Amino acid sequence: MKNTIRYLALAIVSLLPTLAWAADVSMSGTSLFRFEQSAFPGFTKQTIVPATQFFGVDVDKIGDGNLSLHLYGWGRVDLADKSTNEQNDTDGNFTYGYLLYRFPTANAEIKAGRFFINEGVAAEQIDGISARANLKKGFALTVFGGAPVKLDRDRHSKGDYIAGGRLGYRLAGILELGVSGLHEGNVTLDPASGAKDDRQLVGGDIWFSPLRMVELNGHSFYNAATDGISEHSYSLSLKPLKTVTLSGVYNEQHFKNYFTYSNLRSLFNPDTDGELKSYGGGVTWALLAPLEVGADYRRYNRTSSINNSFNTDNNGNSNRYGMDLRLILLDRKVRSGISYHRSEGASGFNSYHEVRSFGMYDSGRYVASLDGIVQLYKYNIFNRHQAYELIGSSGYRLFPELLLSGDISYTRNPRLNDELRGVLRLTFNYAVANKGAKK
Amino acid sequence: MRGAKLYIPFLLIACILAVTACSHIFSTEASLPAWHPEALGEGRVDCSECHEDQVRGVMKATATFKHSTEFIKQHRFYAARDGLLCSICHASSFCNDCHANQTEMKPPIKLGNRPDRELIHRGDYLTLHMIDGKIDPVSCYRCHGRANNEKCIRCHK
Ligand code: HEC
Ligand code: HEC
Ligand code: HEC
Ligand code: HEC
Ligand code: HEC
Repeated sequence: MKNTIRYLALAIVSLLPTLAWAADVSMSGTSLFRFEQSAFPGFTKQTIVPATQFFGVDVDKIGDGNLSLHLYGWGRVDLADKSTNEQNDTDGNFTYGYLLYRFPTANAEIKAGRFFINEGVAAEQIDGISARANLKKGFALTVFGGAPVKLDRDRHSKGDYIAGGRLGYRLAGILELGVSGLHEGNVTLDPASGAKDDRQLVGGDIWFSPLRMVELNGHSFYNAATDGISEHSYSLSLKPLKTVTLSGVYNEQHFKNYFTYSNLRSLFNPDTDGELKSYGGGVTWALLAPLEVGADYRRYNRTSSINNSFNTDNNGNSNRYGMDLRLILLDRKVRSGISYHRSEGASGFNSYHEVRSFGMYDSGRYVASLDGIVQLYKYNIFNRHQAYELIGSSGYRLFPELLLSGDISYTRNPRLNDELRGVLRLTFNYAVANKGAKK
Repeated sequence: MRGAKLYIPFLLIACILAVTACSHIFSTEASLPAWHPEALGEGRVDCSECHEDQVRGVMKATATFKHSTEFIKQHRFYAARDGLLCSICHASSFCNDCHANQTEMKPPIKLGNRPDRELIHRGDYLTLHMIDGKIDPVSCYRCHGRANNEKCIRCHK
C-alpha cells in the first residue's frame, strides 16, 4: 500500500508538466461503495462497507503528437468491518503506468514503465520496456525486458528480471505463424528450500484461414527448464453458413511443465505427473437477426498421480455441456439471455446444474437489469444442495459521460445463510477531445 | 545444464536480428490510428456492419475480429498475437477487470450492472470453484497461481 501511494504520488507529480503540454487528456474512473451483510451459519452477522476507487488517466498527443501516457490503479478503504483477512483496512494497487511512443509507420511503438504484455508465451505484468514493429515481407517483431511485478504478499515468488519476444510472419489474409520465448531469472521454485531456477518458455503459434469460412487458432508451448511440452491448445471454427458457426477445441497440459513456476504450489502442484486433456465442440446459430442459440460440449480427462493438499483423488473424466439463448432487440437497447449448463464431475468430484437468466434495458438515459442464477449440486455441500443469487440493478446517466448505478443482490448458498449486498457505483469517462471510443 | 538452456533466448535474439537485418527492415505502411475513429456502444461488436476489407497492420479480414461468442471465449489467441489492434479500442484497464496481479473484487461485482457481459465467476463462486477447479485447474492458472492469489491463500496455504 505504501508503495502504491508512493508510485501514484510520483506518477501524478510527473504528470503535471506533461498535462500542460498535452492536447488530449481523458480520465476514467469507477467509484464503488459496497454494503455487504453476511450471516455465516453459527456466527454473528458481519457487515462490511468497502469504498473502492478505480482511476485511470490517458494523456495523448504529448510533444510531437506521437507520445502518450497511460496510468491506472485502485485504492480501497473499509468503512466498517474488514473486507479481507489482511491487517490493514486500506489497500491499493498501481496496475499500470507507462509512456507509449507510436511511430507513424510500421505500427512501430515503444513502451516504457509498468504495463501488461501479451505476446505468444508471455502474459506478464512488468516494469520495463517493450518495442514492436511490422517489418517488410510480412514479418513482425516484439521484444521486451525488465523486472516482473512482484506480488504484495509473496515478494520472492517472481524472478529478478524477465526478457522475451515474439517473431511473427503473416501471409495476408491466410496465415500467421509466430515463435516466441521468455526468460525469467531466479524464480523461487521451492519456498521451503529456497531452490531457484530460471523460467524459460518457448512457443509456436498459428492462425490459418485458407478459406473465409475456416479458421484455425492455436499454440504449443515448451518448457525449456524442465524439457517438456507444457501446453497444446487448438481451436478450429467453421462457418458453413453466414448464420452458423461450428467450433472444435483440443487442449493438453502437462502439470510438471505447466505449473512449474507456481507460487501457490500446494494447489497448482507441479510435482504430480498429472496431465489434463480436454476436447469438445460447439455450435452457434443466429436463428433470426436478434436471436442466437448455442450449444456446447467439452470432455475433460484428468490424471494426477499424487493427491493434492486436501488429499483427494483427482483423476477421471468430467463432462460439461449446455445451451444458451441470447435475444438482442431495439438496436441493442434490450439485451437478454437464458442458459443451462451441466458440469458432470468425474467419480469422486461433485457435479452441478446451473441455470441463469438475465435481461437489461438501456434507454440511453436510464438503465435497468435483472440477473438470476441457480446452481444445484449433486452432493450436498455443508448440508445444502443448492445456491442462488438474484441481482437487480438500475442506473441513470447524469451526463453522457457520468453514470450512477445501484445494485441490490440477495444470495443464499452453502456457506451463507443469506447475504444481502448493495453496490452504489459512479462510472465516469471523460475526454477533452472527441477521439472515438476506447473501452 | 543452466548454461545450456540460456541458448534459447540468445538463439531467439540472434534469429530476430538476422530477420530484422534481412528485411531492410521496417514496413512502410502507415500505422493504425491510436484510437478507433468511431465511438462504439456497449455490447458485442460486429465489425462487418461497417467494414468489408482486411484490417491493415494485422492482415486479417475484419470479420475475424467480430466479437462473437466464439471470439470472446478464444480471445486469448487473438490477444497474444494482434494486441496492437485490440489496443485501438481497449485501454489496458478494460482487460484488467479480469486480468491483474491484484484485483479488488471479482468482475461480476464490479460490473453488476452488466449481466450481458461474458464475465467469469458469477454466483457463489467460492463454493462452485471447488468443483470447477477440480475439473479444469489449468484454466485457473491463466489468472491465478502465479498472480492474483491474495484471496486463495486464506484456504490454500
Ligand atoms: C459502427 C461502425 C463500426 C464498427 C461496428 C466497427 N468500425 Fe472500425 N471504423 C469505423 C469507421 C467509421 C472508421 C474510420 C473510417 C475508416 O477508416 O474506415 C473505422 C476505422 C477502423 C480502423 C482503422 C482503419 C484504417 O485503416 O485506418 C480499424 C483497424 C477498424 N476500424 C477496425 C475495426 C474492427 C476490428 C471492428 C470490429 C471489432 C470495427 N472496426 C468495428 C466504423 C466501425
Ligand atoms: C473496433 C473496436 C474493437 C476492437 C478492435 C476490439 N474490440 Fe473487444 N470490444 C469492443 C467493444 C465495443 C466491446 C464491448 C464492450 C462493452 O460491452 O462494454 C468489446 C468487448 C470485448 C471483450 C469482453 C466481452 C464480454 O462480453 O465481456 C473482450 C474479452 C474483448 N473485447 C477482447 C478483444 C480483443 C482480445 C481484441 C483484439 C484482438 C479486441 N477485443 C478488439 C471493441 C473492440
Ligand atoms: C470478462 C473477463 C475478461 C476480460 C475483460 C478479458 N479477458 Fe482475457 N481471459 C479471460 C478468461 C476467462 C481467460 C481464460 C480463457 C481460457 O481458459 O481459455 C482469458 C485468457 C486470456 C489470455 C491468456 C492468458 C494465459 O496466460 O494463457 C490473454 C493473453 C488474455 N486473456 C488477454 C486479454 C486482453 C488483451 C484483454 C483486453 C482486450 C482481455 N483478455 C480481457 C477473461 C477476460
Ligand atoms: C480471467 C482471469 C481468471 C480466471 C481464468 C480465473 N479467475 Fe478466479 N478470479 C479472477 C479475478 C479477477 C478474481 C477477483 C479477485 C479478488 O477478488 O481479489 C477472482 C476470484 C476468484 C475466487 C474468489 C471468489 C470470491 O467470491 O471471493 C475464487 C475462489 C477463484 N477466483 C477461483 C478460480 C478458479 C477455481 C478458476 C478456474 C476454474 C479461476 N478462478 C479462473 C480472475 C480469474
Ligand atoms: C474459503 C476457502 C477457499 C478459498 C478462499 C479458496 N479456495 Fe479453492 N478450494 C477450497 C476447498 C475447500 C476446495 C476443495 C478441496 C477438495 O474437495 O478436495 C478447493 C479446491 C480448489 C481447486 C481444486 C483443487 C484440485 O486440484 O483438486 C482449485 C484449482 C482451487 N480451489 C483454486 C482456488 C483459487 C485459485 C482460489 C483463489 C482465487 C481459491 N481456490 C480460494 C477452499 C477455498
